[in-house]
Amino acid sequence: MKKHIFDRNPFGVSLVLVSLLVVCGGSPANAADSLTVYSGRAERLIKPVLDSFQQKTGISIRMLTSGSTELLNRLQAEGERTPADVFITNEAGTLERARELHLLRPVNMKEVERAIPSPFRAPDNSWVGLSGRIWVVVYNTSLVNPDNLNSLLDVANPSWKGKLAIPTAGNEYLQAGVSVIRAAKGEEAAETFLRGIKENSGNFVFGKNRQIVDAVAKGKVALGIVNHYYIFRHLEKHPQAPIALLLTDQGPDGMGTIMNAAGIGVTAHTTHLAEAKRLIQFLVSQAGQKMFAELNKEYPLHSAVQTDPSLPPRKSFRVAEVPLARLSELREPTMTLIERVGLR
Amino acid sequence: MTVLARQAVLSPLAIFSFGISGLIVLPLLYVVYSAMKADFAIWQRLWSTRIPELFLNTVSLAFGVGIATLTLGVSLAWFITRYEFWGRGFWEWAFVLPLAIPSYVLAYVYTFLLDTGGPLEQAWQVVMGPEAPFFSPYSFIGALMVMTLNTFPYVYLLAKTALQNFNVTFEEAAQATGASQWATIFRVFLPLIRPALVAGLFLVTLYVVSDFGAVSLLRFQTFTYAVYQQITGRYDYAAASILSLLLVSFALIFLLGERWFRRQSRYYQMTGKVRPPTLMPCSVSRSALMTGYCVVVFGMAFALPTYWLVQWTSEAWAENEIGTEFLTYIWNSMVLSGGAATLALVLGTPLAYLACRHPTRLNTLCIQGAYTGYVLPGPVAALALLILFSSIPFLYGTALVLVLAYLIHFLPAGLQSMESAIQQVNPNLEEAAKSLGARSYQAFQRVTLPLVRGGFLVAWILMFLQCMKELPATLLLRPVGFDTLAVRIWLEASEELYQLAAPPALLIVLMTIPVVMLLTRKNWQVG
Repeated sequence: MKKHIFDRNPFGVSLVLVSLLVVCGGSPANAADSLTVYSGRAERLIKPVLDSFQQKTGISIRMLTSGSTELLNRLQAEGERTPADVFITNEAGTLERARELHLLRPVNMKEVERAIPSPFRAPDNSWVGLSGRIWVVVYNTSLVNPDNLNSLLDVANPSWKGKLAIPTAGNEYLQAGVSVIRAAKGEEAAETFLRGIKENSGNFVFGKNRQIVDAVAKGKVALGIVNHYYIFRHLEKHPQAPIALLLTDQGPDGMGTIMNAAGIGVTAHTTHLAEAKRLIQFLVSQAGQKMFAELNKEYPLHSAVQTDPSLPPRKSFRVAEVPLARLSELREPTMTLIERVGLR
Repeated sequence: MTVLARQAVLSPLAIFSFGISGLIVLPLLYVVYSAMKADFAIWQRLWSTRIPELFLNTVSLAFGVGIATLTLGVSLAWFITRYEFWGRGFWEWAFVLPLAIPSYVLAYVYTFLLDTGGPLEQAWQVVMGPEAPFFSPYSFIGALMVMTLNTFPYVYLLAKTALQNFNVTFEEAAQATGASQWATIFRVFLPLIRPALVAGLFLVTLYVVSDFGAVSLLRFQTFTYAVYQQITGRYDYAAASILSLLLVSFALIFLLGERWFRRQSRYYQMTGKVRPPTLMPCSVSRSALMTGYCVVVFGMAFALPTYWLVQWTSEAWAENEIGTEFLTYIWNSMVLSGGAATLALVLGTPLAYLACRHPTRLNTLCIQGAYTGYVLPGPVAALALLILFSSIPFLYGTALVLVLAYLIHFLPAGLQSMESAIQQVNPNLEEAAKSLGARSYQAFQRVTLPLVRGGFLVAWILMFLQCMKELPATLLLRPVGFDTLAVRIWLEASEELYQLAAPPALLIVLMTIPVVMLLTRKNWQVG
């Protein structure tokens, strides 16, 4: 009778399974020559660069890919126990937020100051921009005469009603874009813009940038607002697609094109500061910059590095003069504005 | 019984189950604390901008999906248990297969199929003319459709079992005494299978209100989705807590309602006297109608999405995108989910047992506390766990913390069937064993356990399935370098790469199919 207890009791089974887990999932102690990277940038856009760093330096990389916000929350909860040495995201606002929460530490490196222009890094170099992405108008070349559009704000004009596709309110580039408009053109202009694009887009609100470009290419809508590289991803697959990128706000009174940046910061509690600095050094070097930007057709921030030839040359347009470090402080009121206007 | 009840309060078992329940309630307590600590202005802001709409959306989605799953589930179960038509044997097990598809995968496929310019819209416009309006997946209808197709198997399964174990003598007695067919249905048939329907609806409703993946892909503003937006868009945990708290209170009312409902219809299955219904043959036209109905439902809920997953996977395969790293993902998913489901089964047993046999205030409170784990929105629960667990060195940073997160979130999914399994065992059997000198645990182990084995297997399967699909907690709490299949789907899908998100999705489906098939075994209910 007593044997039955062991026969049927699943405790044993679960203990075995659980201990297996600890063995296979437990994090090995941080080796001397290794770096743990928390990355909000997609694995396929960052892994080749990190692999090449690993090859060059012998420093092995352990990576955790997730949403930028999830990683920020995680860094915050882990505090000084965090295994992360560096934090990479696609959006500078998140890095600035991390700096405000004292999760990052300033790095003092000549290479950084030489390579990366100051609007694209934190004032104290707690984080450093690595590549630029611009938020632009994509238009259908057979439906739109680009001369009618001088400013991004013009897409909010009633004449585009039913002809505009926009991202959802949760899109971090929409949020950052609205923040820049608020800073450059004021509260009222931003609200008019939001009300206009809400009215004009109707049901053409998409969760994915790819869908916006698709809709424009198919002529379902005439215009869309997207990050520039989605246009080139589409053109790579469908070279004949009737779409083009429009650079707006370039006149003397224009605010300039809205540019956001992917970037990197060293965590406040890293135990591998030297290795982390070597990674940054590699990423801001000309070779590193070229690789990092090219994987996603973005703009290198190092001025001596060539931009991918299919993109509009970096020198051909002016960028809005709102330092990325301001994105974080602008964010909260921007969100309130977006919510009040009722964007989805 | 009163003597027993008094003993139970003091028993170590009750203390143990109180501990388990406490662990499960922990994230909720943290959320309540954060919500209470929040500035009153946040409450006001949410009240004036979001809450009325979210409440309306969540309730109408839950209500709509409830009605739709009930209609689909009961009608299918009725046809399959009562009529002999083409392919009946196949359909009988085929309708549990949709359970193998995670809700976010189904939603993902449907956003592609129903999108402007997508295959279904094109097909529709070929039939109806080039400008014929087609419905958008990003709407109430889209969310209703996806959630219904994803959850109706719960109702189907419970209804089918109830119908198969249904004692036709009751029905015949009603007809013999002159009751009309409708009267028989409403006064005999429905009341008798009501517990099964309520249990099914309960599962479905909890699933709908706590689902995060599908509604966020379809951008339908429910509480859970809004909560996620508050956390990610504004880093506003206080606002997220407030919304979660409201959602939990709403679910709690529903839970208490279900308890009350169940108490009204407590019954024990007497073995030996059941005469199950026989299958009726039917005409060719009727047979064709029923088969057509089954084909449409099965096609939409399983065949069509699976076809696209296979299609995309073969594209990824052709491009050499599938490597040996998938073996690690499979292993991680399997061991993690299996471990969590098994642990949940072991720890849940005392809770379920005490709640059924000694429903004292404490024991009822314990099990109700345990149920709240299910309804706390995944992203909020995950973040609460992160904050609570990150200071425990030997736990945090290992996969063990994921096991705990799953346990807390999914034990309720199993508790439901564990409870009803125990409830169906007549307590007199245990009493008899005890009167013959067996101790309580011996009586449980030698009498009750063999009888509830089937129900417990179902509980394990349900929990395993949910763990395989879990996303928010896995993303937030997994150790560095530890990826599961669900995580891989998310990582690739967030980059809008259908071809690369498909292989892990297809693997989850393929791996859960055998487990889901266990659910169709005929003998699981009575054990």
